[in-house]
Amino acid sequence: MQWYSKIRLVTEQCLLAVLLLASFLLLFEQYLEIPYWLQPVGRMHPMLLHFPIVLLVVALLLLWMPRSLEMAQAFLLWGSLLSGITVIMGLFLSKEEGYTGEALNWHKWSGALLFYCGAGLYWLSTRKQKPVVTKWLGSLLIVPALWITGHYGASLSHGENFILEPILAQKKEAPVVLEEAIVYAHVIQPILQQKCASCHSVQKMKGALNLTDTLAMLKGGKTGRLFIPGNSDLSLLLERVHLPLEEKKHMPPQGKPQLTPVEVELLTRWIDGDASFHSRLMELPETDSLRILAQSLLQPSGQLAEQFDFAAADENTITQLNNFDRSIKPVDRETPALEVALYNRNKYTVKHLQELSSIRKQVISINLNKLPVKDADLSALQQFQNLRKLDLNFTDITDAGLATLAALPQLRSLAISGTKISHAALTNYLPGFKALQSIAIWNTAVNPEDVISLKKNFPKINIVEGFIDTGVDTLKLNPPQVRNQEMVFPKALPLELYHPVKGVTIRYTMDGSEPDSIRSPIFDGNTILQQHTTIKAKVFKPGWYSSEVATFDFLKNSFIPDSVRLLSKLNDVHQAEGAETFFNRKLGAIGANNPAWANYWAGVRNNDLVLEARFDQAIPLTSVGLHYMVEEATGIYPPAVVEVWGAAGAESPKLLTKITAPLPLKGEKPSLKLVQKEMPMKQVSYLKIIARPYQKGKNRYLLLVDEMFLN
Amino acid sequence: MDKEIIEHGFSWNRRRFLSAMSIGVGSMALGSLLMPDLLSGAGAEEGWAPGVPHFAPKAKRIIYLFQNGAPSQQELFDYKPKLREMHGQEIPPSVRGKQRLTGMTANQSAFPLVGSFVDFKQYGQSGAWISDLMPYTAKIADELCIIKSMYTEAINHDPALTFLQTGAQQGNRPSMGAWLSYGLGNENNNLPAFTVLLSRGVGNGQGVYSKLWSNGFLDSVHQGVQFSKGEDPVLYLRDQDGMSRESRRIMLDQIAELNEKSYLEFGDPEIASRIQQYEMAYRMQTAIPEVMDISKEPESIVKLYGPDCLVPGTFAANCLLARKLSENGVRFVQLYHQGWDQHGNLPYEIAQQAKDVDQASAALVMDLKQRGLLDETLVIWGGEFGRTSYTQGELTKDNYGRDHHPRCYSIWMAGGGIKPGIVYGETDELGYNIIKDPVHVHDFQATVLNQMGLDHKKLIFKHLGRRYRLTDISGEVVRNIIS
Repeated sequence: MQWYSKIRLVTEQCLLAVLLLASFLLLFEQYLEIPYWLQPVGRMHPMLLHFPIVLLVVALLLLWMPRSLEMAQAFLLWGSLLSGITVIMGLFLSKEEGYTGEALNWHKWSGALLFYCGAGLYWLSTRKQKPVVTKWLGSLLIVPALWITGHYGASLSHGENFILEPILAQKKEAPVVLEEAIVYAHVIQPILQQKCASCHSVQKMKGALNLTDTLAMLKGGKTGRLFIPGNSDLSLLLERVHLPLEEKKHMPPQGKPQLTPVEVELLTRWIDGDASFHSRLMELPETDSLRILAQSLLQPSGQLAEQFDFAAADENTITQLNNFDRSIKPVDRETPALEVALYNRNKYTVKHLQELSSIRKQVISINLNKLPVKDADLSALQQFQNLRKLDLNFTDITDAGLATLAALPQLRSLAISGTKISHAALTNYLPGFKALQSIAIWNTAVNPEDVISLKKNFPKINIVEGFIDTGVDTLKLNPPQVRNQEMVFPKALPLELYHPVKGVTIRYTMDGSEPDSIRSPIFDGNTILQQHTTIKAKVFKPGWYSSEVATFDFLKNSFIPDSVRLLSKLNDVHQAEGAETFFNRKLGAIGANNPAWANYWAGVRNNDLVLEARFDQAIPLTSVGLHYMVEEATGIYPPAVVEVWGAAGAESPKLLTKITAPLPLKGEKPSLKLVQKEMPMKQVSYLKIIARPYQKGKNRYLLLVDEMFLN
Repeated sequence: MDKEIIEHGFSWNRRRFLSAMSIGVGSMALGSLLMPDLLSGAGAEEGWAPGVPHFAPKAKRIIYLFQNGAPSQQELFDYKPKLREMHGQEIPPSVRGKQRLTGMTANQSAFPLVGSFVDFKQYGQSGAWISDLMPYTAKIADELCIIKSMYTEAINHDPALTFLQTGAQQGNRPSMGAWLSYGLGNENNNLPAFTVLLSRGVGNGQGVYSKLWSNGFLDSVHQGVQFSKGEDPVLYLRDQDGMSRESRRIMLDQIAELNEKSYLEFGDPEIASRIQQYEMAYRMQTAIPEVMDISKEPESIVKLYGPDCLVPGTFAANCLLARKLSENGVRFVQLYHQGWDQHGNLPYEIAQQAKDVDQASAALVMDLKQRGLLDETLVIWGGEFGRTSYTQGELTKDNYGRDHHPRCYSIWMAGGGIKPGIVYGETDELGYNIIKDPVHVHDFQATVLNQMGLDHKKLIFKHLGRRYRLTDISGEVVRNIIS
């Protein structure tokens, strides 16, 4: 026990010494000059201060516990001693530049008080007082002193309101309305407040700089003026910001929250402007970078989010009201507003609107386009007092309905295109729509002259008209089409010409001549094709330019062999459907991108195309034809010659005929051609067709065939 | 085996748990496709349930008129008289810099500049220069925001197209429409949220593949539904002959019951998707014929879009259809018009291509406007990159071609809260480099999402341990074009 008492005695004496020293320093503080070598001692204040806090708190706890007075005394003694040392170190630190203001005063004196209380309490506890006095007195003095000292200390080192800031920042006041925003107060000052004020405020004017006050800002700090309006390049403020992070003079110092690029940009733009403290955001030109940046900062979504004064609807209610015919969706996640759209013309009833009474306050937009909405139904809309947007295009509403809608106080946008609403009704009722900003009235009973007068009478409302066919802009009809599924037919084919525009006249020829609007026959659906025919057709309609001529080749093939076989090889890339290719009634097309190119052209180049066809019953053959492609530029040529061999029954095949085709001219455009030869009727049950690709010198040309015709 | 089943039970994540809840409501799974993602919480990250915009949207729907193959900006929207002055002269190396070449011009010995064969005029209050190839588009200049400073990273069609659609060049990510379907859900539950329409012109064409409208790693309910021309616009939608609607219903209910059982057994979210898709198809059986019916369109509409709008499979018909789909609450209608790849024979081909799309594109904008829909519908017109200021191949008196050029190209947007009647961005006087306000593909995508009320940095899906965005890791909203 000896050594313990000794230590205690020494410590008590130390406490006394510190008490005297601290009191002396506090009394003569203003004369204090801290030599540089002592500064580190001062700077250890923020580290050491944690020890006395803990020791004193533990001491208090022990005081309240039974049978632990001795321990409590020891903690009190050490806690007081360390708090005294902390006070002295704090005094040293406060002498460094930048610590001034109210917070410092509070921190200093409450810290000192804490120290004296701690020491006094220790003295009291050794005086054999009743413990109850000690513990009550101690708790009542030390706890508040600790609290106050800690609070102001934290304000000094971390900035004001450090702890609660995240919470306070969350419930910031109503966002400033853009029109009223002041560049400095609402954009620049918050940045300085957040990132700089913890060191450069009235409380803690490091570098003699205070950034929380406009006059003080103009004055600058120890190093000089902060900025020269209009010249960011010479701005000390930005120079410090732009210094490398490791640099001692970089601001904010390493370890503190840094400025974001946007914030730097805002500061730069502000200084480059006039660095005014009073100018409004909206006074800046619309394209000004500062304005654009600031706008996006003040309104992250780039627009002024509308504020609603109603509460959100119950989520379950919304879910229950949603179905396939009626969609109810929140406008966004920030507001309680809902938008409603009704679908399915056949299922619409006014009940779909009436059922929404539980969410009538929240609905701000309703879409009823193309539904059979009657005038009477519109009264069901009156419950939606917050409705902003209403779409009634192509509904059955009439003038009478418009009067009902005027009762919607918030309605801003109304679309009634494609309804029977008249000019008179609009003139009558539009003044009743107090909030209306835009109305779409295309395709209504309102004629163009009336639109002009409406625009004049209601200059505040955007009157949306639309396309009117004035007949000035004459369009050209597109060419006719054929509806026939196959262009190759066996016996006879009803011609199906078609044009999608209603009321057109289709005229056509079958002799290869151009159809005209007078003499050429009008297509009436009664034309039957009997043989290979080239149809040229053209479409006419008053008020339109006539179409280009469309050309369709119809081809006849009377006999399809019962079996076919290739006796020679097709090109690897022109296999099409093999031997089946030639009688499958599928025609190829020009253009390698077209699927009909790859799938329907059978091709040979280095050998003859030899096809063998058999018929179970002999056929009376009078002509043979081939359909092929010509593309002079790429070397796709007609066959040099086609030999047709035939036989009936068991007789040996004889050469029936030889077909030749004209060669293309140099530079001829790609085309599809038919070559055909008539011959005396011959009964055949076996046919061999040999098509030889064209060859000139060493050049061999590609032969592409898609169909053959046996008639 | 038992062990695996137990482990599987433990490995249920939040997503599956929530999916299970939505299915667990039993037959409600059939009746309620309300907000599939709100219930399924697919990949919901950081406490965000997809299905609702982050903030009030300007646009509710998008119609993307994709000009596939890369239309030449020099012949359409980026007027460069200097190119005519310097016609035939070699492009200065200082301008070309280190721009890489495609395989098609890499061996070309000279790169002579070529002026546009077509004249430009100024239109509208904005005074935008638009070429004579686009007379109808010129008439709506005051509705358009023409961006002349788009640029991309890829130099060939497929990667560039994939980049523009999915934010990455490789092609395993969800397409823009799928992201929007995921982020916003269906507007009309009788129709898919993302549809695709294809057409092609006579010009040199480049393929489009279904990967471009893929859902990637998102739930397959978000993939684009391709509509084709002809009697069956949506394949396999029609009931077989002899099947009544009632028996179809019974069949679907029974299949759903079986699927539900296997879902409870295996917990694969794709089974839940499948149930939804069956149900959607059932709804579409009645909704689609109604939407696709153009026979009731008045003649004024035919004159507005041009008579080709009545010919299925044309760009004009697809524009009309796009309007009808959009009007019926389809979030994202994606059109592709092929044939803009004019490496050669440019004057003839581009004139044909422009003729295909000019009237109908302008008509679509006007048609939306006159229905009061343009404010809430964003129309986008543009390709995957631009074309070079120098010719590809031989430069003859009246013929030339242009190669791929990723450094700059022009697109336009209209409606949907985009500033009307402005021209944004500038290229140098040879139309080769951007000199003002560049817009990267990711910036463009960020802007598009922003208009739909989505923060591109928050529209996230976690897949294979990584959080993915449409804009990958970059992209800034182009605030200057937002009204």
